Amino acid sequence: MEKVNPAFSFDTIKRGFRSGLNITWKLAKILVPVYFIVTILKYTPIINWISAAFAPLMRVFGLPGEAAIVLVMGNVVNLYAAIGAMASLDLSIKEISILAIMLSFCHSLIVETTLAKKIGLSALKVISVRVGLAVVSGIAFNLFL
Amino acid sequence: MSSILMEAAIGSFNSVKQIAIIVIPIMIGLEILKDIGILDKLTQLFSPLVKIYGMKKEAGFPLVIGIVIGLSYGAGIIFQAAEEDKLSRRDLYLLTYFLVAAHAVFEDTAVFMALGVNGILLFVVRVTVAAFFTYLASRWIKVDDLDFEKMR
Repeated sequence: MEKVNPAFSFDTIKRGFRSGLNITWKLAKILVPVYFIVTILKYTPIINWISAAFAPLMRVFGLPGEAAIVLVMGNVVNLYAAIGAMASLDLSIKEISILAIMLSFCHSLIVETTLAKKIGLSALKVISVRVGLAVVSGIAFNLFL
Repeated sequence: MSSILMEAAIGSFNSVKQIAIIVIPIMIGLEILKDIGILDKLTQLFSPLVKIYGMKKEAGFPLVIGIVIGLSYGAGIIFQAAEEDKLSRRDLYLLTYFLVAAHAVFEDTAVFMALGVNGILLFVVRVTVAAFFTYLASRWIKVDDLDFEKMR
């Protein structure tokens, strides 16, 4: 006797599809303008100034100077903005992976620190933990990847 | 100038398309996993970990919710759990430390995978580091350090 009683149905798939579409839409709204801004920047001397200014710092993680734009976007705005910047810059898979692990630990600092504060953690502690994890993981990925 | 705008339009469209192709199937998979009761199974899987941290076992569910679904929705569940199950202040702190390092891991990993990153590596490193860091914090934060009785 076989009992085939799937706990999920067409409704499950619909829900998943909608949630995936919702993420894509939320992402597109931020990714597209950021992509435009960074692409335009690439054709101005500004990108060279940014690149030169951040090159010494970014070298620690094996990243080009302009990757600082990605980290700033990710922390001040959110992950989607960082992804827009990553997609428009010419980065290798290794560089993208380093940025991905750093951003995984440390992103949307303004919004998420507010949440942590509500629970009663100090903002300074939360931010230092997250930046610390990002720095260590970035260096590790650069060395071992 | 118009060629630059064209490059941005095509490039951003392709990025969004690529992300949709990866993210939508992963979110469908996640919904199926949720419906077959993966959240409960994950909670069981995490219960030894929660014990190592010296947290109440009721902390397992909000932890799993935060890891899978994310902070903004997870926060609601955490507050609710804190009230219903009387989680200590220490439990709440440790829960939050874990979750600030690793939350919404499926969504984030899916989006980065669309850019070509090894999703499994990213996922494993993130959860392992969060677990280890929370372990260190659990040694650091002594029960007496916090007036958790006041929370009850």
